[in-house]
Amino acid sequence: MPLDTSAYSLALLRVDGRRWNELRRIHAQIRTQAAADGSSYLEMGHTKVMCVVNGPSEPGPRRGATSGGGGGGGQSKNAEVAVNIVIAGFSSVDRKRRGRGDKHILELQSTISQALAASLHTHLFPHSTINISLHVLSQDGSLLAALINAATLACVDAGIPMTDYVAACTAGSTSTYAANDEGADPLLDMNHQEEQELPGLTVATLGDSDRVAVLVCESRVQVSRLEGMLAVGVDGCKQVREILDRVVREKGIKMIQEGTVERGVGLNDMELD
Amino acid sequence: MASLKRSFESDPFAQNISSKVYVRSTKSGKVQKIVREVYLRQDIPCSSKLCNACLKIAPRDAANRPIPFVLSEKPAGTSVFTQGHYIVPDTNAFLSAMDLFEQSSAFYDVIVLQVVLEEVRARSLPLYNRLVSLTKSEDKRFYVFFNEFRLETYVTREENESVNDRNDRAVRKAVKWYNEHLSKTSKKAPAVVMLSNDRDNLRKAKEDDIPAYSLANYVSQLKDGEQLLDMIPELEERDALIEKKPGQFLYPEHYTLSKMNTGVKNGLLHQGIFNVSPYNYLEGSIRVPAFPKALLILGRENINRAVDGDLVVVEVLPKDQWKQPSTQVIEEEAVTMNENPTEEGSDLISEKERKVLQEEAKRTLAKTTEGHALPTAKVVGVIKRNWRQYVGHIDQSSVSSSAAQGRKQDSVFVIPMDKKIPKIRLRTRQVAELLGKRILVTIDAWDRTSRHPTGHFVRSLGELETKAAETEALLLEYDVQYRPFPKTVLDCLPKEGHDWKVPASMDDPGWRDRQDLRDLLICSIDPIGCQDIDDALHARALPNGNFEVGVHIADVSHFVKPNNAMDTEASIRGTTVYLVDKRIDMLPMLLGTDLCSLKPYVERYAFSVIWEMNSNADIVGSRFTKSVIKSREAFSYEQAQLRIDDASQQDELTNSIRTLLELSKKLKQKRLDAGALSLSSPEIKVHMESETSDPIDVKTKEHLPTMSLVEEFMLLANTSVAAKIYEAFPQTAILRRHAAPPKTNFDELANQLRVKKGLDLSVESSRALADSLDLCVDPKEPFFNTLIRIMATRCMMSAEYFCSGTQSYPEFRHYGLASEIYTHFTSPIRRYADLVAHRQLAAAIEYEAVHPAVRSRGRLEAVCKNINVRHRNAQLAGRASIAYYVGQALRGKATEEDGFVMKIFSNGFVVLVPKFGIESLIRLRDLAEPEPAATYDAETYTLTTSGSREVKVELFQKVRVRVTDQKDETTGKRGVKMELVSTY
Repeated sequence: MPLDTSAYSLALLRVDGRRWNELRRIHAQIRTQAAADGSSYLEMGHTKVMCVVNGPSEPGPRRGATSGGGGGGGQSKNAEVAVNIVIAGFSSVDRKRRGRGDKHILELQSTISQALAASLHTHLFPHSTINISLHVLSQDGSLLAALINAATLACVDAGIPMTDYVAACTAGSTSTYAANDEGADPLLDMNHQEEQELPGLTVATLGDSDRVAVLVCESRVQVSRLEGMLAVGVDGCKQVREILDRVVREKGIKMIQEGTVERGVGLNDMELD
Repeated sequence: MASLKRSFESDPFAQNISSKVYVRSTKSGKVQKIVREVYLRQDIPCSSKLCNACLKIAPRDAANRPIPFVLSEKPAGTSVFTQGHYIVPDTNAFLSAMDLFEQSSAFYDVIVLQVVLEEVRARSLPLYNRLVSLTKSEDKRFYVFFNEFRLETYVTREENESVNDRNDRAVRKAVKWYNEHLSKTSKKAPAVVMLSNDRDNLRKAKEDDIPAYSLANYVSQLKDGEQLLDMIPELEERDALIEKKPGQFLYPEHYTLSKMNTGVKNGLLHQGIFNVSPYNYLEGSIRVPAFPKALLILGRENINRAVDGDLVVVEVLPKDQWKQPSTQVIEEEAVTMNENPTEEGSDLISEKERKVLQEEAKRTLAKTTEGHALPTAKVVGVIKRNWRQYVGHIDQSSVSSSAAQGRKQDSVFVIPMDKKIPKIRLRTRQVAELLGKRILVTIDAWDRTSRHPTGHFVRSLGELETKAAETEALLLEYDVQYRPFPKTVLDCLPKEGHDWKVPASMDDPGWRDRQDLRDLLICSIDPIGCQDIDDALHARALPNGNFEVGVHIADVSHFVKPNNAMDTEASIRGTTVYLVDKRIDMLPMLLGTDLCSLKPYVERYAFSVIWEMNSNADIVGSRFTKSVIKSREAFSYEQAQLRIDDASQQDELTNSIRTLLELSKKLKQKRLDAGALSLSSPEIKVHMESETSDPIDVKTKEHLPTMSLVEEFMLLANTSVAAKIYEAFPQTAILRRHAAPPKTNFDELANQLRVKKGLDLSVESSRALADSLDLCVDPKEPFFNTLIRIMATRCMMSAEYFCSGTQSYPEFRHYGLASEIYTHFTSPIRRYADLVAHRQLAAAIEYEAVHPAVRSRGRLEAVCKNINVRHRNAQLAGRASIAYYVGQALRGKATEEDGFVMKIFSNGFVVLVPKFGIESLIRLRDLAEPEPAATYDAETYTLTTSGSREVKVELFQKVRVRVTDQKDETTGKRGVKMELVSTY
């Protein structure tokens, strides 16, 4: 039986061999689906998600997606951001069927929708809808963070004007709530096992700033530990933003080299070597 | 469409990431495949103080503090490694010889590999916890090296390689890496030595030139190796043994775990805790949900290596093999006395045992009373062993004369103090020293080829029958934590020590929300010499004709804050244990006997429950508050009684005690009307000589009205508090329940009463039982009623602590007290449950914020589980201590006393002597020489002997017995021996 999270104090190593302030490996790609307006694929450790963006377009018949931000759909001055999440049955250890009305998924959808609506320039596209479809292929913790990051990348790929990246990650604490340990270290980027055993939160920030776009905490934790966790989380978001930015730039360079797009004015500052 | 594929090489991280894939099966039998990431790194230090390279990469925590290095720069050497060495034990070294690593004479600078730690955890959680506490101890210098996360020492499992082989290879690789790594630091670097008890692993290490030794080889290199040698189990060569003599299995094979699980699920097999009959070591029983009565397990072969307390799986035998429970007493020592420990008998059942069993069989066959037969079962597998360390002594008769002198390793039998545990075969070199000592041993294994379990010696407690050794033996046997409080616990005490006082200024934070009750006439009533005074009382008349009654309990929760070291220690101890000459405290002395104790004439913090009652003792209103009190007097029960009885005493304090007494009588009557039971157990007190503390006399405890005065108000306080905390925390209140006993428990007793006395015992409700117990009187024999109550008490379930969320409300009932809801609140100095209840009540009255530890249901359940066990062990230890001292008090004296027959067998009977509160077995062979023949009539519970002595013994009969003390030559215990003088 592998050790659990209580072994951290023995050598300051987490269950998967990371230190407290290390992200898991993040691998991302954009423009994975040529047919879509924008698409992305993102892995944070073993959490794997893909995202497809369609729009902004005329609002179609309403489906199970959750909208936010823009509010009133086609009739409003702002574009509506409709998010639809599908969690594959094979994505977790137990094959669990989630129905359409699953409260947990609805909440994820609405959180992502509101976060993106705040960053996207929805006022440029009145009476339209931006459809974001997210597919979860594999789950190993930090699901919400991975979904937000994938959606951001796909929106960038779709060319929807936005203020900045919305980059997200999770932060936790090395001892349980009941242990009430004041000296607990904060943890960056929790995997599934850590999420099960330890308190944690998801935080997303807007670009390089410290402006928090999303903050979700569903576990019990002492207030005194929260500040440390949040600081580590915000710092992690900046690292994530760097990684996302690199992915976008690399793809851009490649597309110019391949001649898919012309070298425009806005791309002058890109180095092409 | 763009491809999501990416080549592995292009990923810069690729070589540093691996994944761990394993398969596990869940409780419900589902198989899950788990995949976990593993990040391999090169910055995990070796932690040797010699190594400068690793110093740079020492990991730092969030506060930027580096972890100090553990392994010493000058490690101890052995005869082979004179330049010093570090030890890397493999998994089975820890599993089989954890005691060895806890020694203080050797085993320093140990590297515990992650792979080993993981395997130990998978195999045994208690051993894992011991190992982790070793790694945390500063002076032992144990370092956990996370070899599975270090790039150089990580190994991937090869095709066709078993998990064990892969792990062994990982250990060897880590040892090799360490040696290479350290050799870079200096020329005279210490060697890194692998310790293993696995032949195969040792051989492979030799092939790879890795320094490796078996435990025995290694220990013999040490200076005082000799003494440690006994603690080492044999080399693992089980395979070899099986090949050697295939036809020699004495026991049937155990089923595999998955086969047992499937069987239990299908209802073909049953799972339960195995219990051994205290009178017959070859008879066990097991309670399973599928049968209303316990299943019998008879004979060595059916018991199949199960030891008392193990969680086992049984298969029910066909109906033609169902039997009656044995009516005979069979003691292991007597039957297997002459076995030879070195020679394994080729027969499972020895001649003598066979004879005993045949007699049994004849008896059962002779009777065709089908109706009495009980279902029998056989053990097919053990899910979880409940082996612990056992106290015992070496069986003198199993020692060969040569072993008693030489230092040759020899096999001897150890007879555990606990009669339910079988003899343990022990290999030792120190037979001569250990003879006549109380020793601590553990069981290592019980193979199919071995009639008795094999074990190894842990340590010696001292000479048999010395007070120190026997007391320690008792504490170990009942798992009482008796070591002095560690420094971390003492650090939690108030700095002022004994000079601590209730702050004079009412503005002090200690006074916050506390009521000033210093002007009330409060007093405490306790047994003589009581130092830890938990409770005090007061009563006063109110202008409206009602009374105000207050129960004031020591405010322990003020001093013991949740989750500090002292709290953790107290939660482990669970209760204070009272022995005849000794008290093992739950809390340090300073708190228990001074700062918390509600001593007279000084101000103390208290937690008060205050009721308004009318003259009929009906509660008009109640409230709870933290307070400051000043007790006016600490009475003993006797003093208080004298004062009440002395009509000339008309002071206010005495009158208030009289008021309390009046009210308590009414409360008691109400309780009895509701169906509360008054049960009984023989209670006695040992008087000691004050200077030498040798026992001189034994007396039964007297019962005074003042005792029930205190008791009634404590019960009332407990009940009130229980209701209050349950209201505030419906899911997590800590409560105490006493389940109604299953009716079948009383079958035997009811039948006995009907046959022998023509009395009826109705058990429909506690009320009916209480009433019918009242009717169980023998006009000629006043003690008869008490005897029946003692026997009825033994049919009851034991009360238990629980967390309110785990049961539905009707299950909360306390059967014995006939109360709907109950908890323990009144003795926080000596019981941990009360302390938790205090914290919950404080939160319920909004005195302080709810601490997470008293709200987390999982934690509370764990606490309840522990204190239930501790509570029971404390009671057993207390009784065992009394029994020991009664034996000592009777030493060299012979008295004739009256006794009562309380249990009858076909070859003996059990007599209870109320004066000493002891019961003892009188066997037929004790009656006369030669052993008289006897006929036993199970229908009428009568044993009639003929031949050398003619007596007729019936159940419940009053008999005259001679009580002497006797040292049992085989068990080494001094016990009470009874001889039948005459029947009345």
